[in-house]
Amino acid sequence: MTDVAQQPPAVAESDRDGVPFFTQSAQFDELWPSISSHVADVMDRGKYSHGRKVAEFEKAMAAYTGAAHAIGVNNGTDALVLLLRACGIQPGDEVVVPAFTFMASASSVALARARPVFADIDPVTYAIDPESLAKVAGSTARAVMPVHLFCQMADMDGVLGLARDRDLMVIEDSAEAIGMRWNGKHAGLLGAGGVLSFFPTKTLGAIGDAGMIITDSEEIAGQAAILRHHGRMGKTVDHIAGISNLSGVSGTNSKMDDLQAAVLLAKLGHLDEDIARRAELAAAYTERLRDIPEILRLPTVVPREAETNPVFYVYLIEVEERDALEAHLTAAGIGTEVYYPTPLHLQPCFTDLGHQEGDFPNAEAACRRTIGLPFYPDLTQAAMDRVCDTIRRFFTGRRA
Amino acid sequence: MTLPFFPPDLFEADRDVLLKIVHEVGTDPRQKFILGDRTAALERELQSMTGAGDVIACGSGTGALTLAVHAAGIKPGDEVIVPAFCCQPVASTVANLGATPVFADADPWTMVLDPDDVERLITERTRAIMPAHVFSIMADMPRLTQIAERHELMVIEDAAVAQGAVLDDRPAGMWGDIGVFSFFQVKAFGTAGEGGVVLTDDPALARRVRMLRNHGQDGVHRFLHHEIGYNSRFDEVIAEFQLHRLPTFAERLERRAQIADYYSERFTPLRDRGVLAPPAGRNGRCYYVYSLLVERREDLRSYLTERGIGSHIYYPVPLPHQPAFAEWAPEGQVWPGAEQVSKRNLAIPIWPHMSDTDVEYVADTVCEFFD
Repeated sequence: MTDVAQQPPAVAESDRDGVPFFTQSAQFDELWPSISSHVADVMDRGKYSHGRKVAEFEKAMAAYTGAAHAIGVNNGTDALVLLLRACGIQPGDEVVVPAFTFMASASSVALARARPVFADIDPVTYAIDPESLAKVAGSTARAVMPVHLFCQMADMDGVLGLARDRDLMVIEDSAEAIGMRWNGKHAGLLGAGGVLSFFPTKTLGAIGDAGMIITDSEEIAGQAAILRHHGRMGKTVDHIAGISNLSGVSGTNSKMDDLQAAVLLAKLGHLDEDIARRAELAAAYTERLRDIPEILRLPTVVPREAETNPVFYVYLIEVEERDALEAHLTAAGIGTEVYYPTPLHLQPCFTDLGHQEGDFPNAEAACRRTIGLPFYPDLTQAAMDRVCDTIRRFFTGRRA
Repeated sequence: MTLPFFPPDLFEADRDVLLKIVHEVGTDPRQKFILGDRTAALERELQSMTGAGDVIACGSGTGALTLAVHAAGIKPGDEVIVPAFCCQPVASTVANLGATPVFADADPWTMVLDPDDVERLITERTRAIMPAHVFSIMADMPRLTQIAERHELMVIEDAAVAQGAVLDDRPAGMWGDIGVFSFFQVKAFGTAGEGGVVLTDDPALARRVRMLRNHGQDGVHRFLHHEIGYNSRFDEVIAEFQLHRLPTFAERLERRAQIADYYSERFTPLRDRGVLAPPAGRNGRCYYVYSLLVERREDLRSYLTERGIGSHIYYPVPLPHQPAFAEWAPEGQVWPGAEQVSKRNLAIPIWPHMSDTDVEYVADTVCEFFD
């Protein structure tokens, strides 16, 4: 046996001082026996995308979310584009999306050759504000895409009510919302369908790109399933010879890698534990940061009439001097991420929509003030203390 | 003996390496899984191998073609001339942008685009020609590039299946203004997942493809989106695996070519029995798939199946006759070459790890059928 005292320190000095914005390294290593056995399965089968492991993962995700259909694709953005097309969104149709979200919510609409129409957000949940939705959804709007960000769902009672009144299809960008439920229904299943992203930093993250469409509609699922594989009809999953099948619709290639499905299946077994750990970490952050007056907002879960549950994917705070705080944390070796620095209506790619500053004030304020702190199940108490102490020192220094 | 057409054991010798890479990337302190240093290294290696001005790694071959067509500036209303006998992406990447795929016929022997038909189909709305290399044969790039030059059209080269082929000293992928390779597992440089690359000498096109593959971001200002882009990115696990496989790629290509040489030597004499082997040779060739044209195709196929030899019929229906693309098949237009090769092509096993005995068995069995 090796003498522990003679081993080099497990963590180098610089690593102990720094806190990465994200890591899953320790968890990955811990899960390696399970991950490697799933990877061995993939190699035994010899089909590396759109294969049997992907089908196994789809089945597991359908069970986890309660969706009738789960369709694995290459990434969350593709999932949105294919879902929009499978829902029958046509070139020229208008789809209302919030102005504060990741670009994919709106670019997916544009890639389906439809038109995004922006709405403002609720300042607490950062999700679409039903009042703003009511204002911007004109008679030509076909659908609304609520986006669930950071730790909670959009006001779905409000969105669904309006959608019913205005005859809008509801297509959820639930890319970040794994584990979130509204009256028992998993995010993504309250309207026509939704998506999941397994981008590595997500609550359930791969080690590469992967995404999924979830829906209870057989028709939408069927269309999405062929769109992801060149519109090819007939058997294609776990069947390479399907590459020469007849194509029923002009599709694309958006297959999920079986190696990613292998990693995801291993991690899925830990998901509920991870979500519970994330809730503890969020509570611990809040405990440490609540008395700093310069913090304008800590994550706040809004009580609803419906039964809901928060899932902390990102821990986001708001401060007036956001850029200075970010620079201060970076200098201290602490990773941060600004979600999102520019609202969608002011992005260069949407200048042709003719928006200007002031059009969506809540979205613009969020873009000026929000900053995400290091947040992942492996985050240690010591690392969190270091993050919080550094934030506290920043403000103490400003006050002096 | 059982010889499947698509071998399930492509990476048998690399199992330990692949496992090691998955662990290494998963626990790498950088925790960078997409478009990281490994992807950049693979791009550099392919750049020096092809001489391309730039190589941009994307989510798949189709992803690469989507970005290439978009970066080429194809817009709704534009026409792009594409092969009628090919895989769907040549048409879908054009149609999905709201542009019009115009189907040109295939040569009845080489199965690639017929340049005369291409020239006939050029109109004032034509913006580009998209030749695709098919099975083992590169399209007639010298003539197609001349036609494009004469009519001031762009050439988007679908070299998805032809990585490693060289025509008149110029590599496949480097004949057009912009070209693509695919790493789908059964391709010559196939991998353990999805991936592809765009190649171009034009810095402006390269810059645009780099932005388009990651949501229109410039790689400097995160979350600033200059144009509507896609998510078509490259995974680090796959990049590392490809870097591992790259040094032996030439060997595998050579083995495929040797098998093809042997097949063609055995099958060329069957010409008067209604069998056309692909034209022999190495110029402009990459033996990704070895496909015969056979009059009694279904009979030969059953005969091979009974004797444990897998085969595959590619594209039994030409693209303009598939429901997905009917909208772009003008009434009265015919594609006799494409229809003929759709009816007759039969691909037989040609993977690099086949033994000489395997290869001889396949050749003997085919010849036996015609005895």
